[in-house]
Amino acid sequence: MRMLRWLFSLLLVASSCGLIRAAQPLLPPDRPIHEAIDHYVDARLAREKAKPAAQVDDANLLRRLTLDLAGRIPAVSELDEYTASKTSDKRAELVDRLMKSPEYVDHLAIELNTALTSGDKGNLREYLKTSIADNRRWDQMFRDMLLGDDADPKQKGAIGFVKSRIKDVDQLTIDVSVKFFGINVSCAKCHDHPLVDSWTQHYFYGMKSFFDRTFESGGFLAERETGLVKFKTVDGEELTAKLMFLSGEVIDQPGAKELTSDEKNKFEEKIKALAKQKKPPPPPTFSARRKLVEVALKPGGREMLSKAIVNRLFYQFYGQGLVMPLDQMHSANPPSHPQLLDWLARDFQSHGYDLRRLVRGLVMSQAYSRGSRWLSGERPSAKLFAVGNLRALTPTQYSRSLSLAAADPQQFTGEVKPEELPKRIASAANPGNAGLFEQPGEFFQISAAEALLLSNSDRIEGSYLRGGLVQRLKQIKDRKELIQTAFRSILSRDPSDEEIKLLSKYLGKREDRQEKACQQLVWALMASTEFRFNY
Amino acid sequence: MAKRSLSSFCGSPDHAISRRSFLGTVGAFTGGAAGLTALSQPALAAELKKKDKRVIMLWLAGGASQLETFDPKPGRPTGGPFLDIGTSVPGVRICELMPEMAKRLGKTTAIVRSLNTRDGGHGGGAQLMMRGRKDEPNIKYPDLGAMLARELAQADSQVPDYVAIYTESEGRNSAQLTSGFLGARYAPVKLNDKMGLDHVQRPKSISEIDHKERADLRALLSKRFVQGRESSVVNSHNMAYRRVKGLMASDKLFDISKEPQKIRDMYGKTQFGEQVLVARRLVEAGVPFVRVGRAWWDSHGQNFETHQELVPELDHVMSGLLDDLAQRGLLQHTLVITLAEFGRTPNINGSLGRDHFATAWSSSLSGCGINAGAVYGKTDKDGQRVKDGEVGAGELIATIFQALGINHEKEYHIGSRPIPLVNPGIMPIKDVLA
Repeated sequence: MRMLRWLFSLLLVASSCGLIRAAQPLLPPDRPIHEAIDHYVDARLAREKAKPAAQVDDANLLRRLTLDLAGRIPAVSELDEYTASKTSDKRAELVDRLMKSPEYVDHLAIELNTALTSGDKGNLREYLKTSIADNRRWDQMFRDMLLGDDADPKQKGAIGFVKSRIKDVDQLTIDVSVKFFGINVSCAKCHDHPLVDSWTQHYFYGMKSFFDRTFESGGFLAERETGLVKFKTVDGEELTAKLMFLSGEVIDQPGAKELTSDEKNKFEEKIKALAKQKKPPPPPTFSARRKLVEVALKPGGREMLSKAIVNRLFYQFYGQGLVMPLDQMHSANPPSHPQLLDWLARDFQSHGYDLRRLVRGLVMSQAYSRGSRWLSGERPSAKLFAVGNLRALTPTQYSRSLSLAAADPQQFTGEVKPEELPKRIASAANPGNAGLFEQPGEFFQISAAEALLLSNSDRIEGSYLRGGLVQRLKQIKDRKELIQTAFRSILSRDPSDEEIKLLSKYLGKREDRQEKACQQLVWALMASTEFRFNY
Repeated sequence: MAKRSLSSFCGSPDHAISRRSFLGTVGAFTGGAAGLTALSQPALAAELKKKDKRVIMLWLAGGASQLETFDPKPGRPTGGPFLDIGTSVPGVRICELMPEMAKRLGKTTAIVRSLNTRDGGHGGGAQLMMRGRKDEPNIKYPDLGAMLARELAQADSQVPDYVAIYTESEGRNSAQLTSGFLGARYAPVKLNDKMGLDHVQRPKSISEIDHKERADLRALLSKRFVQGRESSVVNSHNMAYRRVKGLMASDKLFDISKEPQKIRDMYGKTQFGEQVLVARRLVEAGVPFVRVGRAWWDSHGQNFETHQELVPELDHVMSGLLDDLAQRGLLQHTLVITLAEFGRTPNINGSLGRDHFATAWSSSLSGCGINAGAVYGKTDKDGQRVKDGEVGAGELIATIFQALGINHEKEYHIGSRPIPLVNPGIMPIKDVLA
């Protein structure tokens, strides 16, 4: 008995020293998502003896959540309401309110569309809007995008993912692997991976084999019964690929062979003839693409599917994924919080691949609502999630926010029926100028062209400096009140005393041209770095 | 199992170290490895900034025919109707459509006749020739203009670093000029349809003093916000605004009415000629890299009519440019390049045209650091294959760097991963370098 107790204490000491870590089971599945996130993030912070930044204040949190869930800054009325509210779960209420709005659907559809399309390669926005509004399961969405039937209104447009890339099967192979599984196999096109032992060229060509039989004819996607992908190794050896998924699972198709060009042509003629009659091609009895979806959704594959979308959404809301870069999810590039990723993936799968549930959990954690300013020496690594990341607004977010900020705040705080307010806010947040701005990506830098645009463009001036806000401001006699109104409309917070002093001086010098002074004030706030980023 | 050279970053820490530094032959600061995010050593930075080299690239959009310019094959079935002429370099003959350049060749220009670049697509070829390499899945490489902007521009430059001037038929977005991972700081400034920069005029509704003080106010508010929040993208925001004043002042550079008629005549009255004159004004004012596109050389039909029109213009404009630079004492500091996505087929098709051809084609280099009169590489008698001295896009870019006194092995960094200016193992073409 004493021996046992001694052993137990030893184990306790050993585990608290981090000596026994790997064997610890995952947090139980009944915990809410946000708690699991904080559990694992805080555990690593403790291990590394790192202190996190403080939680943001109400105004900052409101702005962050509204940008992330509704794709715009908050309106003044929302700021007033949230900062005044004393309810204990006001954050949860806010999140639920935002996620119920049509703006949530639009914004997430745009973000996912950006993630899934490669710039000019096709547009899935309509399909994504419908699916997100319905909270369609992600595994089903994956199936839709690889196999989708345009005749079914729920899947309509989804197959565009494949169609828009079918002329370049190599690119299609890479895009499916990257966007759905977080794995960039393009390296393996030319050689085996130097460090990830299992990643041989067979991985690239194995995946390609699932797509190589598909082709487009007359707007339809057709698929041959059989076919083989051959490739050359670095040493010049010619090999034949098997249908192999990224998990390593091989699909055996006995009798698989390469068709002669004659056979291929005959088949294509047949499909063309059907297409002329607007008839879809007959599905093959053995569909390689269908097999891919099957394998991907089985154990072994579905973990990869889940982890990839979890990681991508983590990146979207936190500015940092659990695995970075997003398309290097492999054994030689471990996650910053491996157990958290496992837990989230497990939770995602066991709750019907529910995107809405995942998003809600992501934005409710303490890790999500950490401040972004770090003044005590070197900024901690982003991997720790100790401090919030700054994310440049997307073109739509920026355009909508500018538009909303330029509106007369009385529209929202004056006499409005409460049920009309959300619509009024949403329509004031107009995305009309989104095309003027660049989509942020990796290595994003803001260009001098944008600075020139904001500084000198008549269109910008017309859109934002002649509207309701400026008209309202010029009627305010009290300078402090004027400045506060401008700040609350544009920066979604109150000005500091120093800022009031600075801006009072600016206005004071321009008593002979107050309207212009107001315009310039509004401009300075709108063109500021603070406005440009989600912080 | 032999491994090809690895150039994709897979996120693993070991892969982040370059082979050369792993082997211990290259230290962190050798060869001017001024990192993007790391602070450059001040001495190194100062040395780099002393460079006063400039580049003007004449981009023959659509693919000019090497047989109707620098590598004629008169009398051959592939030669077409034009003859060749002698040049001021004994033994070197170019197309008869370029008499002005023929006179000057020995004093100004070297020719590379042995490009084999394998990509016959407008988009792919343009990307490849401008970047010296193809993008990786995880890396968007900066093009030559962006790299030269980075290498040659002054830190507090008041003029743009990289300007692209195009013709309507080439279009603004063709060739996808890009600063890649170097970021928007080095992105090309593209001119609008009126041959100026967009949004460089102060709006009439605001006075000069208010425009300035408004900008100062913006900067002050932003500076306070950025404290404790600095990152590459955040800093780029204020960097962009700091450049506004200088770019607005650059507007006058685009106005050639300020040039004496004598000078304007050297370039001629065509749009291309006027644009190249603008390019000269820009480099004279310190813009390191200007690319002028002349479209549309893509003569799938009527190749000979097209070239009969375009080549003499090129001849006149290019020789005018070289003369003008020379008389201003700028030629030894300015590199003038002719380049395109690819060349054209020796075989003449049914519409009397030549199609895309990346297998054996030419480029020319004039001025700074160039061994004038040199001809590198040979194609076979019909121009179907490179016979001698085959080079690719990388070699051409490496040569351009060397001509400008820039070490082509210098490395940029993405995070801790080193990225050389040209891919490892690529060597410049010594024969065309002075």
